Amino acid sequence: MTLRGGDQGWRPVSPALRSVRLLTLAGFAVPLLLAGVVVAVLVTPWAWLGVLAVVVLGAWAAWVIHRQVGAISWLELDEEIVIRKGRLYRTLVSVPYGRLQYVDIQSGPLARAFGIASCEIHTASPESGGSLPGLPTAEAEALRARLAARGEAQRAGL
Amino acid sequence: MSDTHQTPGGDAPVGPVASPAVPPGPEDGWQRLHPLSPLLRGGVVLLAVIGYAVTQLVDRVLSSIDVGLPGEVPGEVPADVPGDGPLEQVVAYPLLALAILVVVLAAAAFAGWVSWRFSRFRVGSSQVELRTGVLFRQHRQVALERIQAVELSRPLLARATGLAKVVVQAAGGADSSLTLAFLGVSRAEDLRLQLLDLAGHTDERRPGAEAMPGGVAAQVPAAPPQPRPVADGRPLVSVPNGRLFLATILHGSTVFLGVLALAVGASGQLGELGVVFAGVPAILPVAFAVAVGRVRELLTHGNFSLARTETALRVRHGLTDLRHATIPLHRVQAVEVLQPLWWRPWDWWRIRVNVAGVHGAGEDAVETTLLPVGSADDALAVLASLGARRDDPRITEALLGTGGEAGWVGVPKRARWLDPWVWRRAGYLLTPNAVVLRRGRWTRRTAVVPYARVQSLSLAQGPLQQRLRLARAAVVSTPGPVPTQVDHLADADAERFLDVVAARARVARQEVPEDGVRGGGTPVAPLAPGGAPLVD
Repeated sequence: MTLRGGDQGWRPVSPALRSVRLLTLAGFAVPLLLAGVVVAVLVTPWAWLGVLAVVVLGAWAAWVIHRQVGAISWLELDEEIVIRKGRLYRTLVSVPYGRLQYVDIQSGPLARAFGIASCEIHTASPESGGSLPGLPTAEAEALRARLAARGEAQRAGL
Repeated sequence: MSDTHQTPGGDAPVGPVASPAVPPGPEDGWQRLHPLSPLLRGGVVLLAVIGYAVTQLVDRVLSSIDVGLPGEVPGEVPADVPGDGPLEQVVAYPLLALAILVVVLAAAAFAGWVSWRFSRFRVGSSQVELRTGVLFRQHRQVALERIQAVELSRPLLARATGLAKVVVQAAGGADSSLTLAFLGVSRAEDLRLQLLDLAGHTDERRPGAEAMPGGVAAQVPAAPPQPRPVADGRPLVSVPNGRLFLATILHGSTVFLGVLALAVGASGQLGELGVVFAGVPAILPVAFAVAVGRVRELLTHGNFSLARTETALRVRHGLTDLRHATIPLHRVQAVEVLQPLWWRPWDWWRIRVNVAGVHGAGEDAVETTLLPVGSADDALAVLASLGARRDDPRITEALLGTGGEAGWVGVPKRARWLDPWVWRRAGYLLTPNAVVLRRGRWTRRTAVVPYARVQSLSLAQGPLQQRLRLARAAVVSTPGPVPTQVDHLADADAERFLDVVAARARVARQEVPEDGVRGGGTPVAPLAPGGAPLVD
């Protein structure tokens, strides 16, 4: 199991997650940008500095989102599910099926419009769960069913 | 406070109540708490109010004597002039004050009575339930099979009145515990045993069936079954309050404070009064905070003793609030042995554990310290009770090692910039049964997580670590005081750690029965899966 690379067949998440996150970002940035422009035109030209800051920050955030989504990958082994995330701050979590307490499927309205959902994995320890965002809804449902079945089959006491 | 339905102290269940004021329960079996409960729960406030009133009264009496002596202007009675203090008002209008007092007391008594009437609990066939509240009703239930521990707690007032609080701990969210406050002591003890019985933790009651694996001393001889066995078990260690007191004072915060005070004092000696005037007010709040922390430590861990039953550890602790906690061995997830720098001259150690289903550090949290401060022998005894072998050479390595021992995987030299003190000692050891993690140069810390108790595994790597090709490996345990990670491992070592521990945990999960007790098998000590020693 490696933090980067590896040829065990890591699976990426749906690229639609990128669109969802970018749209969410736009939802914050665009009104801010418009407000900045209005203030700059009507009140003081100094506000152009703020507009510039919003543009720079927004572009940076978009770049981070782009890279982050590309860095999420996951792997189903015989007894564990492994989730890797992050490029600057890399994390890897390996959760045995036998330790699963329950699995949540979540999707907001925007995510639903893009047909993706996030799959949250909970164990007896709050910090050890993994969340797997941006799975196509059908795949998330199938994953949940698989995890539940395997969790039942391999259940281990606390 | 009178009740027409049922003597509340009795053990018989209260049936559906006819009075329209109380909604009848759906089934039989609802019981009431002890009628003194509201009084006890409000006891602290009551004491504070009484204390305040008494001090005010004494003040008043003293000052009136003082004032009376020089001789007042004749004809003027001081009591006729209402002052601004509340007590002056009271003295001025005694009847009104009395009436207000009576009304307030009556209201409080009525509120207490109502809250008592509406607080009922029931032990059903599959769950224990508690209903409280009149306006804001609360119905909490804990499934019997989810019960992790049942604890008795006796605060000072409860001890004075012969009552006890029963805390039912369950696996689940942070507030999944259920507190029955208060019950008579014998009834509380009965209820505890009944709940443990129903929860399948029959180990608490079953006298002498089998000694623990690993041959840790002879078990108590098989006693004849008693009608009500109080499973106190074989005493392992007890901590003298004197030692605890000394150890509590020998703490980083107090040492720091002492040094600070000495510095300020010395500058005072040198005539630098400015430093003293600036320093003392700055130190006082710190000193207060330190004192509060230390006193709490003393209160929590005073009168500490630990006993071992066949399948559980019994902890008795508390200077004023004497508590009994039961930690079933198969719920212990991780063990930490630690020694602050200041304890080294005495060779004192502390042992803490992570216990499944125990959350946070709230007032009703189950104790997770198995040894607040003890000699090396005490520590070994506790470790042995958890399944470790006393004469294991690896124990010494794990506790005292400074790095470089065979089998240990340490932190590479290139990490010393990130970890100048610890990098030599930190590291992990993979024994056949458990992961041993060693940290801390000044405060020696060693954590042990049996493979069978590994929840999940994780790696993490920040940007700086990426550049140095380092990573953090963590064995994720259930929430508790024991940290279970190693920072700054070489990334290849961290990845190998993950692979090996995952593989061994896979095997270990299959070997351990689903529930160490309910499956009818031998209860499994956490450090001794299958009877094997802590480290090989």
